[in-house]
Amino acid sequence: MTAAAAGIEIGDFGGFAREVKARSGASPMSCLQCAKCSSGCPVAGRADLRPHEAVRLVQMDQRQAVLASRFIWECTSCQTCATRCPQNVNPAAMNDALRAMSRAAGAVVAGADSPAFHDVFLDAVRRRGRVSELSLMMRFKLRTRRFFRDAGKAPVMLLKGKLPLTGKRVAGRAGREAMFRKAAEGGAE
Amino acid sequence: MSYVFFPGCSLAGTAKDFHKSAMAVAAKLGLDLPELKDWICCGSTSAHAGDPLLADALPAQSLSLAGGTTVAVACAACYSRLKTANHHIAGDPELRARVAQVTGRDYDGRTEVRHLLEILCRDLGVARVAQAIRRPLGGLRVACYYGCLLSRPPEVTNFDDPENPMLMDRLLEAAGAVPLEWPHKTECCGASASITDPGVVVELTRHILEMAQAAGAECIATACPLCQLNLDLRQKDVKARFGRRYNLPVFYFTQLLGLAMGCPAKDLSLASLIVAPHRLLKAKGIGAEA
Repeated sequence: MTAAAAGIEIGDFGGFAREVKARSGASPMSCLQCAKCSSGCPVAGRADLRPHEAVRLVQMDQRQAVLASRFIWECTSCQTCATRCPQNVNPAAMNDALRAMSRAAGAVVAGADSPAFHDVFLDAVRRRGRVSELSLMMRFKLRTRRFFRDAGKAPVMLLKGKLPLTGKRVAGRAGREAMFRKAAEGGAE
Repeated sequence: MSYVFFPGCSLAGTAKDFHKSAMAVAAKLGLDLPELKDWICCGSTSAHAGDPLLADALPAQSLSLAGGTTVAVACAACYSRLKTANHHIAGDPELRARVAQVTGRDYDGRTEVRHLLEILCRDLGVARVAQAIRRPLGGLRVACYYGCLLSRPPEVTNFDDPENPMLMDRLLEAAGAVPLEWPHKTECCGASASITDPGVVVELTRHILEMAQAAGAECIATACPLCQLNLDLRQKDVKARFGRRYNLPVFYFTQLLGLAMGCPAKDLSLASLIVAPHRLLKAKGIGAEA
């Protein structure tokens, strides 16, 4: 069987790991596979990869397998792996880089709703300066067309006064628009 | 010590009970927490999941408005993002310059950021808090739940022992509660997956509720809007999916402190809790009227 037939990418010898490191400061090449990250990971039991497996795939240049995984989106950024890793690999920071790379490569796994959530969230920050949770949830539902999931939750929260109908705005939208644009350009002159 | 308060977005919405009870407790302690003017959202999970520079620039923008005064924070996610930005900017002159380019003002990453737990426990001190207790909590057995982002990663937050934090335990003990030893103090509740992937949250909150109950807890105390909301709101879903009914009230630690300091129930927004605490409070003789 060829490597391609087995779904194995022949990569550029650590190029993927170097790119992840440059983007996030994580050090996938330091991983010695002790699996301490996976033993404490809250989503390891349900995701398609466990953290130490994802790190190994990064070491071995398996871009597609990692960037198209559910794992990078199911990670809750709880920082347990980063705290306990004896090698300072920082899988949590690695996942931040992988999420951006997955989106840039158009490799986001079907059914992952986090990218839509992040877009709606940051759009609110850019426009208003602050996030109104009610408006955030409505926009997220419109975007993902998931109208019935948790449909019973909003009335309970409204009743408890946890979703005010109006949110505050902060002046300075033009400044924030510039800020978002410059950040996307990397803060270069 | 003087502070400016960074409430964060949740404290105007889902966590308005946290905001209200924090202010009530601060008033009892003579702690002045004026709101930072023109603060903007910290960017939370969404900024760092996509754009690392923006994730540092958003907190830097707000922190630079504080003019060097210590910034007090209640939300664990805001706390994490503000401290992470400080950690990055103070340790990397090249990044500091890029952030300045993005925000239009230079910020050195050195404005102190402190969580209310740190302020009460360390700055004011447990003894000062104990002096303000009027109606002790009658041995209420409480599981103090810290969640992820207060204590992790420790080199960024420098909050307390990352695996076994004790700040909330010490405060509630001084208020007459019995904080319990239990292993899930810093397990993740799933946070914003509550919106994007609720199944994760139902599973994770179930572990936490189960362990709190196994440790003998009558209630849970939290210090984070998402922790509180997930543990409180999802008990119904946990019952539907796993057939387990916990009925554990999930307080903000400030609500319990406020009760012990004799604040009226309305000042603590107890009615906002989804699992109603009244039966428990009555059974323990914990009254809200001073």
